[in-house]
Amino acid sequence: MAGLATVDSITNPDAMFENAGITNIIAEVTHVDTEKKIVELSDGASLDYDKIILGTGANPVIPEFEGVDLEGVFTLRSAPDAEKIKTFLEEKKAKNLVLIGTGFINLELAALLSENKPDYYNITVVKYKTLGPPLALMLDADMAITVQDCMVEKGIHMKMESRAARILSQNGQVSGVELETGEKLDADMVMVSVGARPNLELAKDMNLELGTFGIKVNKYLETSNPDILAGGDCVEKIHFVTKKPAASLLRGPSVIQGRLAAKRLAGYDIEFPGILNNSAVRIFDKYVAATGLTDKQAQKAGFETVSVVVNSRSKHGMIPGVKPWTLKLVFDKNTQKLIGGQIISDSDAPVKEIDTVNALILGEKTIPELTTLMCAGNPDCSSEPSLEPITIAAEQALQKLR
Amino acid sequence: MKKGEKLVVIGCGGVGGPAAMLAKKLMPDVDVTIIRKEERFIVR
Repeated sequence: MAGLATVDSITNPDAMFENAGITNIIAEVTHVDTEKKIVELSDGASLDYDKIILGTGANPVIPEFEGVDLEGVFTLRSAPDAEKIKTFLEEKKAKNLVLIGTGFINLELAALLSENKPDYYNITVVKYKTLGPPLALMLDADMAITVQDCMVEKGIHMKMESRAARILSQNGQVSGVELETGEKLDADMVMVSVGARPNLELAKDMNLELGTFGIKVNKYLETSNPDILAGGDCVEKIHFVTKKPAASLLRGPSVIQGRLAAKRLAGYDIEFPGILNNSAVRIFDKYVAATGLTDKQAQKAGFETVSVVVNSRSKHGMIPGVKPWTLKLVFDKNTQKLIGGQIISDSDAPVKEIDTVNALILGEKTIPELTTLMCAGNPDCSSEPSLEPITIAAEQALQKLR
Repeated sequence: MKKGEKLVVIGCGGVGGPAAMLAKKLMPDVDVTIIRKEERFIVR
């Protein structure tokens, strides 16, 4: 969508598989006979198997309100979706854009379109379900407000206190969005990004056991059929912190699960540790990342929390180009373990410190242990050691517990 | 999996592509087939 890369340059070339000695078939799997162990294809062909790895992904959630099937209403999940949106914007010379949903897809899209054609689009982002600041799956409201303010400063209209009620039409084409408050927004194009659902048709056809969030798998990604493994958006995962089934529709776990399934079939006994839904996004000049539970999610899951927000900087204070960044850490008050982290940064490097937070959660590190964390430092690429925010956050949490 | 056995990978997004490539690397004697319905898919 940014126009920085062609679709061909970001897709797996078929030659990559063929050169590796892998047979590559483009067809839809219409049925799997798990008794005879045969896969049937849409072109009438079939092939037998000993093992299957299933990665059928997810499809965008389409809300049930009026007007979602109009011309000019889009969802975005794959390269063809992006091509359709770009073509529509160019051919219709669309200017008034309403984006329903406040997750990272819509915020990133708003920023990219605005950056590509400054002062051209009139972009409004509206809520779908919950009210309040955007990025609720990643950030607590006290952090998300920074992102919201940045969007507004860049000219994006953020309607965070009103939900979309229906999409309006004129002559079969989208013409606007009506909010629950009755306010009507003009729209030449509407983007609906309100989540995704696992694609389970084939899993049902194969009689695989399903959970609340997708195909049930064990720690080795084996389904209820021992000859079929599954991973990615279509499987139910266990959250590392809550130890309960959870939704996860991110590319990171999908890639790791795909490779883990291959290792399992090759004889390795490596368990999938559970998900933390660590993710990152750039919105204008704000780099945002999160892992584990937000304070709100943790409290909803039954944790009593201690949380701390610390400001730091990307370089030592005297170095030209120094940028601010903010870290929020969430701890379980009972065990004092780290259970979540959020970062908002004005430059790109600090945002990857979320991987450190991620590793510390997986290591089940506690508040006292984190007060002695020692980080690599240099004037050009880190804050002063005295401003290293993980240790400072742990010290402040320690004080809150006294 | 043993030599000559057949692995079928269904889907070529985040899971399928990496699964097929690593399976072939770890088990070169296994017959690996990847099936996808999309003409192309975003690299994961």
